[in-house]
Amino acid sequence: MHISHSLPTWVAAILTIGIFSFLWKDNPFYKFCEHLFVGVSIGYGIAVTWYNGVYPDLVTPLFRQGKPLYIIPLVLGLCYFCRFIPKVSWLIRFPMAFVFGWSMGVAIPATFQTSIIKQIQGTLLTPAIFARWDVLLWAIISFVGVICTVFYFFFSREHKGALRLASQTGVVYLMVGFGASFGYTVMARMSLLIGRLQFILRDWLGVIH
Amino acid sequence: MKFFQYLLKIDRRIIYIIMGLLVTLPLVKPLGLGVTSGPRATRLFEAVDSIPAGKTLLISVDFDPASMPELYPMLTALMRHAFAKNLKVLLCGLWPTGMGLAIKAATDIPPEYGKKYGEDVVYLGYKPGVDAVILGMGENIKNVYPYDYAGRSLDSLPMMRDVQRLRDIPMIVALSAGTPGYSDWLAYAQSRYGMKIGTGLTAVSAADAYPFLQSGQLTGLLAGMKGAAEYEVLVQKNNYSKAYMPAVAAMDSQSLAHVVIMILVIIGNIAYFVTRKRRS
Repeated sequence: MHISHSLPTWVAAILTIGIFSFLWKDNPFYKFCEHLFVGVSIGYGIAVTWYNGVYPDLVTPLFRQGKPLYIIPLVLGLCYFCRFIPKVSWLIRFPMAFVFGWSMGVAIPATFQTSIIKQIQGTLLTPAIFARWDVLLWAIISFVGVICTVFYFFFSREHKGALRLASQTGVVYLMVGFGASFGYTVMARMSLLIGRLQFILRDWLGVIH
Repeated sequence: MKFFQYLLKIDRRIIYIIMGLLVTLPLVKPLGLGVTSGPRATRLFEAVDSIPAGKTLLISVDFDPASMPELYPMLTALMRHAFAKNLKVLLCGLWPTGMGLAIKAATDIPPEYGKKYGEDVVYLGYKPGVDAVILGMGENIKNVYPYDYAGRSLDSLPMMRDVQRLRDIPMIVALSAGTPGYSDWLAYAQSRYGMKIGTGLTAVSAADAYPFLQSGQLTGLLAGMKGAAEYEVLVQKNNYSKAYMPAVAAMDSQSLAHVVIMILVIIGNIAYFVTRKRRS
């Protein structure tokens, strides 16, 4: 057993125990750790964004390199803060309109290509799939799943007869999907617990090597 | 009946203690259950393995310390694999809180293989504006990142002479804990520039990525700590590294915890249905 002599390791270990203490019951030490985490995260995020975004991409070109066009993003950015002044709060619409316009123009074609066209291509039963029986089987399962799940979300007609059969099959697929997501969620949470225990036992207490 | 009612009212802290002990014991005394690599991790490994020596692998560090146990072992294993194959590693990030982890990896791993910062590895840092950053990197990386994370000009870093834009990079691996992450690299880097993309994800978000794997948009997928362990095993099996493998070391605890949870779910359901039947 080789207990760490590093101050940051001790601080991290004590804060980890503080967060874990919530498992027993809510307490002031946990609340302190929680608030500290929120504060440090936001402070760190602001500092990193300033030094990696605002300063090199706005302050430097505008004030150090004398590029006057950068006044436009500065003014648009400052308009966000008008939200706090009721008389001029409407000015926030300008940067919002710019961001919405840019985001829609850029994101819609890209998302359509990635999440719709490519996904439909991936679901289609093409001649190449028939070359191997296992590939064909999985392709048919995927194909049936997509069709039936889409039918479950078809609300323009009452689910009766064939439509009911298809939508009920869709429900089965949805349940399998939810089960897989839940299983992965359990695994993720356990991984985080194991990660902290590895830190406590290895980095802090030196019990494992 | 009373037994089942007792089970439904059991203090959750007893379950926490049992779980804590069962997770801790295999870490101190490993059971040696072993890890086998699945097809998704193998596909990613083979894709990285097939990159010609001297070329660059881009790894996007899109996670924060909260996801470190799952994604940091993936980052170190990928870097070890790349350096063992004499690839150069370019790191960047879409999450501000991931900077410290990327700097740690860029500092700790290259010396194991005698690699130098600026020649074999560069960390570009974090830049806000996800879509603009990726699209800008597709045109000219230096327009988006004129300097690396420490303020060194990219022109002064020898590695960046051959890497001008995304198309100079054979493959991107996005290690993502959420959004922004692999979905943005797919939407902007792949749809626009045809980039080959693999990913490593937290287990929570892994199920959402399977459709992209099935459609061939993703070259490979590492899901959670298990995915990291699978990649670590592949790296070690091919004699690319002899370093400590934190994800593999955690797999005994993970397996034991899963068995306990499965037993608890089954017992909980039996107890619920038995008591419900009696009540009705």
